Amino acid sequence: MSTVIEIKNVSKEFKVLNRREGLKGSIKDLFSRDYKIVKAVDDISMTIDQGEIVGYLGPNGAGKSTTIKMMTGVLEPSSGEIIVNGRVPYKNRTLNAAEIGVVFGQRSQLWWALPLIESFKLLKDIYGISDADYKNMMDFYQSQVDIEPILHKPVRQMSLGQRTLSDILAAFLHNPRIVFLDEPTIGLDVSMKSKIRTLIHALNKEKNTTVILTTHDMGDVDALCRRIVIIDKGKMLYDNDMEHLKNFFGSYRTLKVRVKGDLKAEAEVIGKELSEFQVTADDEWISILVDEDKRKVIDVLGQLQQARQIRDMQLEEISTEDVIKKIYEEGVQ
Amino acid sequence: MNLKRRLSLTRAGIIESLQFRLSMLIIFVGNLLYLIVIYFLWKAIYASSGQEVVNGMTFSDTLIYLVLASAIFNFIEMYTVWEMGRAIQSGNMVLNLLKPMEYRKYLFWSFSGTFVTQFFFTFLPTFIIVAIVTNGAIQFGFNLLYFVISIVMAIVINYNIDFFVGTICLYTESIWGINIMKQVLVLLLSGATVPIAFFPETFKKIVYCLPFQSIYNAPLSLLLGKDMPVSEAMTTLGIQLLWCVVMMILSRLFWKSSLKQITVNGG
Amino acid sequence: MKKRGLGFYLRIYRKILAQDLKSKMSYRADFIISTIGMICTNISGFVGFWVMFRNFPSINGWSYYEMLFLYGFSLVSITPVQCLFDNNWALRGQVYSGDFIKYCFRPINMFFYYQSEVFDIKGLGQLAFGIGTIAYSWNKIGLEFSFIACFKLVVFLITASLVMIALQNAAAATCFWIQNSYYVLELTFRFKDYSKYPITIFNKAFRFIFTFIFPIAFIAYYPSLVILRPDAIPVLTWISPFIGIIFFYISYRIWMYGASKYTGTGS
Repeated sequence: MSTVIEIKNVSKEFKVLNRREGLKGSIKDLFSRDYKIVKAVDDISMTIDQGEIVGYLGPNGAGKSTTIKMMTGVLEPSSGEIIVNGRVPYKNRTLNAAEIGVVFGQRSQLWWALPLIESFKLLKDIYGISDADYKNMMDFYQSQVDIEPILHKPVRQMSLGQRTLSDILAAFLHNPRIVFLDEPTIGLDVSMKSKIRTLIHALNKEKNTTVILTTHDMGDVDALCRRIVIIDKGKMLYDNDMEHLKNFFGSYRTLKVRVKGDLKAEAEVIGKELSEFQVTADDEWISILVDEDKRKVIDVLGQLQQARQIRDMQLEEISTEDVIKKIYEEGVQ
Repeated sequence: MNLKRRLSLTRAGIIESLQFRLSMLIIFVGNLLYLIVIYFLWKAIYASSGQEVVNGMTFSDTLIYLVLASAIFNFIEMYTVWEMGRAIQSGNMVLNLLKPMEYRKYLFWSFSGTFVTQFFFTFLPTFIIVAIVTNGAIQFGFNLLYFVISIVMAIVINYNIDFFVGTICLYTESIWGINIMKQVLVLLLSGATVPIAFFPETFKKIVYCLPFQSIYNAPLSLLLGKDMPVSEAMTTLGIQLLWCVVMMILSRLFWKSSLKQITVNGG
Repeated sequence: MKKRGLGFYLRIYRKILAQDLKSKMSYRADFIISTIGMICTNISGFVGFWVMFRNFPSINGWSYYEMLFLYGFSLVSITPVQCLFDNNWALRGQVYSGDFIKYCFRPINMFFYYQSEVFDIKGLGQLAFGIGTIAYSWNKIGLEFSFIACFKLVVFLITASLVMIALQNAAAATCFWIQNSYYVLELTFRFKDYSKYPITIFNKAFRFIFTFIFPIAFIAYYPSLVILRPDAIPVLTWISPFIGIIFFYISYRIWMYGASKYTGTGS
């Protein structure tokens, strides 16, 4: 397997204007300005191989988009080194762009007024895709998703789901070695989400395309990623296999119970009783994330039962969502 | 709907417009260039006419008129049609309709902060400079009072014309076309680009029957008129008041009925 | 990847243009209203011109028809900026919303990609109006009509248009550095109105300023002399085509430099 992306000790700093508050403040701003330095990305290193699907995760403002902008050549790192497809991206933005595909946020990159097929034809010219390759790709698309109904529709008239789908298809059209997908499933309904996941998976298998995926939807991670990278406040928290991560939290179980009375209120009481564990409630269940290295589930259940009647219960492995949440909150030792 | 709520909109508008310090410098340079161009242009026109007074106006009358007209433009033009057009196209208009204030009023009071800053930052300095430079060409008497009353009505008329035209955007996507048509017609027919005194007679008669001359020509002739009889001033103000009322009613009715039609159609 | 030459870009542009026109035609109401708006702009511009100058046989040694020729020349030379570079007006909005980022991901020239996205068809009405004005005044002045003269006119019109394009590119690019760059663009947009008067109406100092600092005189005045004053063509007229090309190149570099500084806001 060959390396397609190599990131070494990369940092990125921004100068941000401090705006003063209120009427007085804005008059002051007229005459003097006050800047502060923000480190959006702080000493990140990683290597990504051809054909990997990497989940790039982190809370809002963690520095995910900044990293992607650096990998695509839009931003220059403040320090450190990035090599993508053997090139320094920001020095060779156009060359780099020919070999990557990007779907960025909810911003369509297609020609707003044009029917999708015309956008595709323009991209064919822009990327210099040969007739045979183009036909191949279109055939493959046709075999994967039902694109007929959207092919002749202008992008501006599409639903969000159709637009996202179109953007993903456009990003893969020139068969790039790497595709960056920034929250591709945000705001989509369940069936569209699964359609898009299947498509990304199939494209990765068929064309061996490397996919870097940022998302807040753990469904995406479960369906697509074997490896995940987590950053927060610009610092890298974790970079390894999903499996490894789950093993790491292998001693955790989610205990779900249903009791009499208002679940939210009960959850608060239980939270106080079991202060060492995380307790949450939804409409159906009170969930308690139990670390069995500390206390056995059966023990916890016993304690709960002393004070109240348990009507129903379930025991689950820790979910990806909980794992990520724990890492955001506590980090990995 | 109390005054405090309206004034808080005014205050927010002032803060926002102050945050753009550079824009003020740029507006200043732009106006300066405009002044230079019209100064030399009209100087050449008066020189070639060989007369002191053309169409009842001296060179300095014309210049003061045009300079103040452009200063008025800078502070009363709020690009309302754009604002409305964009809100309609992006669908944000719905949010505006949910606000606990009638949209026509809400928009006006949000602009009011900018009216205030622009008045002090662009109009007043221009006026003071012009008054000093021309040394006595502008009288300081009742005409100033007339002017202030007149300019407030001019703002209201201009806003309501804009709001009326902006309402058309509910029916068509062509904001640009609507806006440009409105802008050039208003500027020409209100006497903002060329004083109405220079218009040919028939043209002048038609223009006096339209609301547009109440925006620029009326306040400026009140301000610059020398020893204007009270009756004449009152007539001018009366006509303005009439247009104020007419335009307010028209824009309100048009908006209400259009909105009804649009909601029925589910647009 | 093979080298992308002029042929490549022309082919792409032609395809985008064809598609864009096709989709514009499907919004017929918008097209018609915009065209009417453009016609209104030109007519009101012309009426203003006529009202100002109709009473005077000549201004500063320029006959009415010579002034009209200059007016037509400036209309034509600002058409390309209207038709081909209209997307500059949207630049600021795209930069602030973060949508501009999409132009960074394609393996083609960013400036080209950005400008190619919008072709403003209504500018063609202005072109027709301008050509009509030139032809009419050409005839009235009684200038000699020859193939060479036509050829000169076309070359000088094209290069003159580059000056306005350059000014607008540079003005639009300021949004990469300053927040309220709309006013910069608005300022340069006003230059087009000042370009239609002969520069000889100004005094020496401002002739210098409008030639070398705000090069408005190169938009219409200097290049038009090649037809209007064939017996006494000044040096500045001969160098005006080069000025156009050099300015355009500089503005392109500024634009690209700004775009490369672009960091993208939002997520």
